[in-house]
Amino acid sequence: MNNRSLFIVKIVAFTLMLVAIVWAGIEFYNHRNFTETVVLGDGVSTVKKLSDYYPGLKDSVNDCNIYIFEGKEPGGTLMVIGGSHPEEPAANLTAELLVETAEVEVGRLIVAIRANRSASTVTRPGDAYPLYYTIPTPWGEKQYRMGDRWTNPLDAWPDPEVYVHYPSKQMLAYMDIRNFNRTWPGYANGTLTERTNFAFMELVRAENVDVFIDLHEAELEYPVISTIVAHQKGTNVAAMTSMMLNATEFKIGMEYSPKSLHGLSHREVGDHSQAVSYLLETPEPLLDRVRGITDEHLLLTGKDPFVQKAGEYGLLYEKIDDDGWPIDVRVGRHASTVLELAQSWSDLNPDRSIRVSNVPRYAEVIENGIGFYFANPANVPSQRLAYE
Amino acid sequence: MFVHAGLVLLIMVIAFVVAKWAKVTTELSMAIAALAGALYHTKGIPVRHLVEGSFNYFDVCLIFITATFFMNILKESGAVTFMVRSIVSRFFKHRYLCLLLLTIVMLVPGAITGSGAATVFTVGTLVGTVLTCMGISPNRTAAIIFLCAAMSAAAPPINLWAMMAAAGSNMPYVGFTKPLLVLSVVGKLGAAFILGARGKQVDLESALAELPESPVGMNWLKVGLPFIVLFALVVAGRIWPFSMPIVGLPMMFVLASIAAILVSPHKLRIVEIASTTIHSLIPLVGIMVVVGMLIQIMALSGARGLISLGVVTLPLYVLFFALWFILPVSEGLLQYAVAPLLGVPLILLFNMRGMEPVIALSAMATMWPLGDCLPPTAVVGRATVMELKFKGSYTKDFLKTCLVPIALILLMCTLFIVFSNELAFLVG
Amino acid sequence: MTFLNTLINASYYVLSAAVSLILIRNIVKTRDAQEAVLYCIILMPFLLRVFHIK
Repeated sequence: MNNRSLFIVKIVAFTLMLVAIVWAGIEFYNHRNFTETVVLGDGVSTVKKLSDYYPGLKDSVNDCNIYIFEGKEPGGTLMVIGGSHPEEPAANLTAELLVETAEVEVGRLIVAIRANRSASTVTRPGDAYPLYYTIPTPWGEKQYRMGDRWTNPLDAWPDPEVYVHYPSKQMLAYMDIRNFNRTWPGYANGTLTERTNFAFMELVRAENVDVFIDLHEAELEYPVISTIVAHQKGTNVAAMTSMMLNATEFKIGMEYSPKSLHGLSHREVGDHSQAVSYLLETPEPLLDRVRGITDEHLLLTGKDPFVQKAGEYGLLYEKIDDDGWPIDVRVGRHASTVLELAQSWSDLNPDRSIRVSNVPRYAEVIENGIGFYFANPANVPSQRLAYE
Repeated sequence: MFVHAGLVLLIMVIAFVVAKWAKVTTELSMAIAALAGALYHTKGIPVRHLVEGSFNYFDVCLIFITATFFMNILKESGAVTFMVRSIVSRFFKHRYLCLLLLTIVMLVPGAITGSGAATVFTVGTLVGTVLTCMGISPNRTAAIIFLCAAMSAAAPPINLWAMMAAAGSNMPYVGFTKPLLVLSVVGKLGAAFILGARGKQVDLESALAELPESPVGMNWLKVGLPFIVLFALVVAGRIWPFSMPIVGLPMMFVLASIAAILVSPHKLRIVEIASTTIHSLIPLVGIMVVVGMLIQIMALSGARGLISLGVVTLPLYVLFFALWFILPVSEGLLQYAVAPLLGVPLILLFNMRGMEPVIALSAMATMWPLGDCLPPTAVVGRATVMELKFKGSYTKDFLKTCLVPIALILLMCTLFIVFSNELAFLVG
Repeated sequence: MTFLNTLINASYYVLSAAVSLILIRNIVKTRDAQEAVLYCIILMPFLLRVFHIK
């Protein structure tokens, strides 16, 4: 190749590369800076910031909103967090459902929709997740950021050679130092993710939380699925909840939080505070490695013939059929489980009772669709709006 | 969806084959395959997916670049020459001890960088010269250099195949040190002693005359200091995890390189070394970036799922009988790309069948580098014959000599996979 | 500690920038068209990281 041709190849290749990074860069930038609008339901008394409990997070990407519902009568305190892993959308949607609809009769409710906000500003290379998903509502479509399991590397770089968990010194995979559900109970001098967990622990202690629920979704290839994982302080409540839901609404299991497995909310929140901690899992076929086409349709419908085929070979821990696992079913399961846990807790701890009303349960969410419960931000006064 | 994903896969394979036939490099052929699959699946160019995919192994690339820079600094400072000359001068009367020490020297570059080519380029010629002076034939010398390089790439702490497959399976890259060390050291020593056992005592005079002079002022302290810095940073992070800042492997290699530059007896042309490092790494870093794009498009279109499903529904005994062949051959075809493409679904399968995934992946990650002498890519094999200025036939002389040790290593790895649960004590 | 972590974080961006510059230098110097194209592809993630975009 002569000099002139080589020069042309170089110029063309470099220009195409620049066009590609500007094109993709704009998409990445818009996704990272996209804000979700949350309409505050009548039950929300105050919206605080996570940094109100730990100033070290002030103005950081993880200084998320904390929605507080004061009950009409005193009682216990229930805390629910979504968005620990933003690639599990049923979690943040359930948390938002609570913010828009819940009313508290007795006790208090505290909700975080995007617990690890940074992880919701990035999608995982190699997994081809959609950047956004939309939920149909009676007034139009509501758009959400799809996220990742790990904190955005732009907010926490580099990873250590091996992640040593604080304070147990248990060794974990290097990237899990950015995994919000491997860094509990957090560390004030640590990375952004560890500091975020620390802030949440400060909140749990300051607000005297009784019941702490961390919402998740899981791939069907993963054994911990369709279940409540309970800290040993709360196994009676979890067992009662599981029994009631199995009898009346859907099948759900109950598992003990392993005492030697550190960094997870169901273990550490219970160990390091007065709260009883639970972690809920629903099935999300989008997370399965054997899945077929990766797109928003799979994310929302949970229908996938490849995952179904794996099920036929007995390779899954949860059933899947032609109906898939639609987002309404997954949110409905979480909503009912949260309500049932609150109910069972109140039955067993009447002096720290928590009574939440007006939140749709499993059957209602499936019948109406999750979008039915989201009000149009355009029709709401600005002081009743929050942004995630 | 099965037909669609199958078509995407077919289009990618055709695009790859056509590009290779048109003399396009393996890396660009893969990029073309990714683009072709993307065009068919999306009926457009999914720029965001292609660019996002290029980030898949970004951190691994940084480790790879900085580790190779570190090894190149050591080579240019004369530390490597000094090591080899010292070993030969001191142990020339003890043939086996000399062979053992040279084998250990050949472990370091690949173990640190994860690349067999790094071993060949940094110490291959030097060790090859000494082996020739030990009366080992050129065929056997080339085979020893290649096999030691392949095993050094498999050795911990950095085994790129295991790292890439583990990352793709959401599996921690933890617990691999012992199984990888056992497999690679046994494989390496076995190969070196099977091929190098017969010969004569080192001819010290001719060996020293053939080897380059080590620079004046170089000593063991200067050779060891950069390694001490590296080791100290790794160990400090483990002993005082909560009072040490997070340095990360790439910066550890940079700091160790700075130590090597500071103690070098002569001035080093750092920009030139960095530039040469990047140039020598272009096939490997390039393939990691392009494979990331390919994987993203395969995940997007369902092709990844189809391969995964195909693998996880295979009976285990089929894999036991076929992996020893499939893994090296696929490495020869696709290089590191095989780790996420085949490794990830295999890990999934081993997990589902209740096997110990760390042992199984370690065994696979030791089998893969052996394929680096096989065409069409044959990256490390070609580097070996080039560096040693090998005169014989690539296939009839070099490859044929490699066959017996390769077969034995593959057998050992297969046994590790079959008995992964029994060997689980090596994990941790 | 936070200061040191911030310093190390910044040094990683410097490292990525240095790799980017060397890649650009090699694009200019190379005599191989295919190599030049591959350098451009490799450059994408490094530039986006340097500019804090991805």
